[in-house]
Amino acid sequence: MAAGISRAWGWFRGNPWVRTALSPPGYLSLAFLTLGGFVAGVIFWGGFNTALEVTNTEKFCTGCHEMQANVFEELKGTVHFTNRSGVRATCPDCHVPHNWTNKIARKMQASKEVWGHIFGSIDTRDKFLAMRKHLAEREWERMKANDSLECRNCHSSESMDLTKQNPRAASAHERFLFSGERTCIDCHKGIAHKLPDMSGVPGWQ
Amino acid sequence: MDLTRRTLLKTQAAAAAAAAANVTLPASAQNILTGEDLQLQWSKAPCRFCGTGCGVMVAVKDGKVVATHGDMQAEVNRGLNCVKGYFLSKIMYGSDRLTQPLMRMKNGQFAKDGEFQPVSWDQAFDEMAKHWKRVLKEKGPEAVGMFGSGQWTIWEGYVASKLMRAGFRTNNLDPNARHCMASAAVTFIRTFGMDEPMGCYDDFEHADAFVLWGSNMAEMHPILWTRVTDRRLSHPHVRIMTLSTYEHRTTDLSDMALIFKPNSDLAIMNYIANYIIQTGAVNREFVEKHCNFRLANTDIGYGLRPDNVLEQRAQHANDAQVSNASSFEDYAKLMSQYTVEKASELSGVPKERLEALAKLYADPKTKVMSLWTMGFNQHVRGVWANHMVYNLHLLTGKISEPGNSPFSLTGQPSACGTAREVGTFSHRLPADMQVNNPEHRKHAEEIWKLPHGLLPEKVGYHAVQQDRMLKDGKLNAYWIMCNNNLQTAPNTNNETYPGYRNPANFVVVSDAYPTVTAMAADLILPAAMWVEKEGAYGNAERRTHFWHQLVNAPGDARSDLWQLMEFSKRFTTDEVWPAQILDAHPEYKGKTLFDVLYANGEVNKFPLSEIDPAYENREAKAFGFYVQKGLFEEYASFGRGHGHDLAPFDTYHQVRGLRWPVVNGQETRWRYREGYDPYVEKGSGVQFYGNPDKKANIMGAPYEPPAESPDAEYDLWLVTGRVLEHWHSGSMTMRVPELYKAFSGAVLFMHPDDAAKRHLRRGQEVRIVSRRGEIRSRVETRGRNKVPPGLVFVPFFDASQLINKVTLDATDPISKQTDFKKCAVKVVAAATADAGDVQ
Amino acid sequence: MRRSVFLILAGLGPCLAAGTILAQDAPRLRGPQPFTRETPAPPMQRQVTDDVRVRRNYPDQPPVIPHSIEGYAMDLNANKCMSCHARKFTDQSQAPMISVTHYQDREGNTLGGLAPRRYVCVSCHVPQTTAKPLVDNVFTDMDALAEPERQPERGRH
Repeated sequence: MAAGISRAWGWFRGNPWVRTALSPPGYLSLAFLTLGGFVAGVIFWGGFNTALEVTNTEKFCTGCHEMQANVFEELKGTVHFTNRSGVRATCPDCHVPHNWTNKIARKMQASKEVWGHIFGSIDTRDKFLAMRKHLAEREWERMKANDSLECRNCHSSESMDLTKQNPRAASAHERFLFSGERTCIDCHKGIAHKLPDMSGVPGWQ
Repeated sequence: MDLTRRTLLKTQAAAAAAAAANVTLPASAQNILTGEDLQLQWSKAPCRFCGTGCGVMVAVKDGKVVATHGDMQAEVNRGLNCVKGYFLSKIMYGSDRLTQPLMRMKNGQFAKDGEFQPVSWDQAFDEMAKHWKRVLKEKGPEAVGMFGSGQWTIWEGYVASKLMRAGFRTNNLDPNARHCMASAAVTFIRTFGMDEPMGCYDDFEHADAFVLWGSNMAEMHPILWTRVTDRRLSHPHVRIMTLSTYEHRTTDLSDMALIFKPNSDLAIMNYIANYIIQTGAVNREFVEKHCNFRLANTDIGYGLRPDNVLEQRAQHANDAQVSNASSFEDYAKLMSQYTVEKASELSGVPKERLEALAKLYADPKTKVMSLWTMGFNQHVRGVWANHMVYNLHLLTGKISEPGNSPFSLTGQPSACGTAREVGTFSHRLPADMQVNNPEHRKHAEEIWKLPHGLLPEKVGYHAVQQDRMLKDGKLNAYWIMCNNNLQTAPNTNNETYPGYRNPANFVVVSDAYPTVTAMAADLILPAAMWVEKEGAYGNAERRTHFWHQLVNAPGDARSDLWQLMEFSKRFTTDEVWPAQILDAHPEYKGKTLFDVLYANGEVNKFPLSEIDPAYENREAKAFGFYVQKGLFEEYASFGRGHGHDLAPFDTYHQVRGLRWPVVNGQETRWRYREGYDPYVEKGSGVQFYGNPDKKANIMGAPYEPPAESPDAEYDLWLVTGRVLEHWHSGSMTMRVPELYKAFSGAVLFMHPDDAAKRHLRRGQEVRIVSRRGEIRSRVETRGRNKVPPGLVFVPFFDASQLINKVTLDATDPISKQTDFKKCAVKVVAAATADAGDVQ
Repeated sequence: MRRSVFLILAGLGPCLAAGTILAQDAPRLRGPQPFTRETPAPPMQRQVTDDVRVRRNYPDQPPVIPHSIEGYAMDLNANKCMSCHARKFTDQSQAPMISVTHYQDREGNTLGGLAPRRYVCVSCHVPQTTAKPLVDNVFTDMDALAEPERQPERGRH
């Protein structure tokens, strides 16, 4: 733990950009600073957004071993990875909100995942399995709270054609989804990754 | 509750009485049937499929099987069957059942290149006998052979063994069980001096931990798996650890999956042995009193043809079976190189998981049941693998008591009962006796009432060797019964098929359906199956289980028992036995083989009147005596008093099987332990009495690499095996619509990354290519089997995707069992240019 | 080499001809004719997903599953089947309740829920594909024997 903190701090202080940023300005005019600040702001904003986009790709998400070997590996055997028409979901499609404010909020939460990576809290399969229920519950709660927003980005209930669904699915959607009684995640847990121990989860034993 | 036959008879009698008393029975005017229309005749039988040996109840009406269900009274399964067992009712009713002999003919004569034409049994046997006599005369007994089955009934195996060894004087008799559990059978003898497990299925209810070594029980032994899951889910302290080369339904229900690189299970077991030694977990007292140490010859080759470079390079290819007496210290020294680091590096399994597994074995308070099937047995070091797991149990003394049990599961319904106990292997006689032991041969000749010196001593051709000798023209008259070897043998395009079509050979196949093998034969004989004959099977826990004939086989189909005995009538001793034996024993002169082998005063001892009148028995009627009883009682005399005691014949028709040795009417659940096994002397605690010094052998052996590993060109491991819904080559289950529709064709299970790397998609047609041959299949990246990158799995049940054209005919050099679990292949998209080849 | 080519050729003719006597049979069950011929892989079949119950062949037959179960959890963590077929969920799912036999343990005691020995549903209950059977099965339905006049067509051969 201590080693991790000192490693992170060392990296931070050693970075030349950080060092420059922390030194006070000496002899520049206010106009230059204002204009320059505007230009810098644009550049920064562009960079920020680019960074945001980069971190919002499956390649980035699966860049670390924890995601690659566990959740991404499990996704590969599911309909969200391969299917009839080849339209597929990548990690951020389901796990990062699409509107800006929520996305930033989610990204800030994601700092915890970086933390977890640095400190190796799930760096083996067995550690991951031990944490799985906690991790899954967090996602379920988030999706429950936003009415399964990420599901609905692709699966709009208004656009469903019941005649194209099998009778069992059609009747369940009619009774529970369209009535607003349930949201997607209530019934469709574990469709992209394996389930944790489901004891105590409503709708399961 | 089941309506038994007796209560049924009573009900029928009551109905008859009611009719006689002029009591009006309700007319069937309403839409609910009543009275006699509803009556079914229920009888017990073991399941036709795997080695579990589940009991089923079979309902017959108007001469047809109309229903089956799990037998509540059967100890093995207590009312449960797997999906195959539940569909047993339909396996006999595929519309392409063979109902008459078919022979390749041209112009009314047999012709190797002729077309199949229906012939009578007389024509078929005449032609067959002609070839047998020609070959015997020209080339002698070594050119005659038979490939039998672990699906034969006990008496069919026994009759075949007598006919081949004593009749034709050859040991070229081997069962398809050679492909299935020869490694297990050989190692039982090498370790304990006696074949078959010391424990039994009751261990499932006593173990604290189950370790599965190369066994996907959830699919292959589903009913035993219900007992494991029952134990695991009912007792939270229980753990299931599964070792495999890929994830499957069994790993889904395991607490831990240890996915290892092919062949590295050897290193893992040696690491556990090392861990046990290093942590002081060796049960010193047990080891000193009950175990010897031996070291095996190493660098033993791969059972390939002798001119193969791998065989020529191997130091001990010709004396692979040899081992030398050793000591605990030497054994410990050999094991000491197998550190957790080395085991982890060789196997790819994380160290923590290996340590967790080792702790289970080392902890004296944890009762461990080790289970294995083809992952161990179909292994170029299968005998070593079996030894190594016994080593773990012997070092810790965790053996021969409830819950502590190294347990070899079997694949076929009578792999134990017929292939092993009866002695249908090319090196064996009944009751674990060996053909190359003069005392054993003499004992068999005495029981069989045959002249001394008749039985041949040379070990016959084993399964893979039979195919090679057929191809090389050294084995020329060949009878295949109750198996589909052209679909299930390894490297079939190069090593099996050529022998069948070799013009020098006459190949006969007895089967119920036109299988791949039958279609490549010269003569096809239609066989009766399952409850179309009276039968007996022996399951994996030493349980002997009987059934009655319940229905007649269609058309002219006849049981293998009838076929073998009837064929024996076509030979006289003068034609097949040496003159010096007949001169020394003139009383045998001029008799048929049937007379000397089956009408010998023992086999024909029991009259037809002893048959239960409620049941048909075609064989008994054909030969005029209670064939099955006579054969069984003569066979049983081999084992009674020698640790293989069987109960009297009639008992088995009453009970749901009994586990031998059956002494004073009591079955034996745990062998070698005082208090459970009557053969263990009082005060001795444990005696491995199969060996003269009553000790078991701990055998040291190293890790050695497989015969063929992936390389730059053939870059994937190929593993073959079964699926739940189909049994073996699918000849029965593919004809049951529900089972066919549940798994309609073989697929290539492949990791999504491997598919992506080759630009392959799920469902896409591919070629699976090895150095031996290729087949076409389709990619499956989902489903029940989750293979790691670098490994693919293909089941062998589908006659249209013959994966054994691709496999390698490497065997364990000691057991001669093929390794169907590892060879190197490449997978490429099927070229579109070949699309025109679609039928 | 030349010898094995000859052997293969010798085998080819009769094997092609062999189909005649067994004409009604499905080639997929007998293997390629001749054996050495390479055959295309049959297509992978689609799952039946119509949710229409299929009649059982006899009362003790486990009913087949008329819907897809792809991706359903059946492990130590979860049993997806039971989230519809458990007694307590059947009102919302309208799925058939697991049979009463499934409450009995090995000793015959009736438990308060699914007996652990019955946990692996797919050992007995299997989904179906739309594949057409390769060969007829002439199994006889007991109803056809009990009351042939009421069973005009099916199951009588």
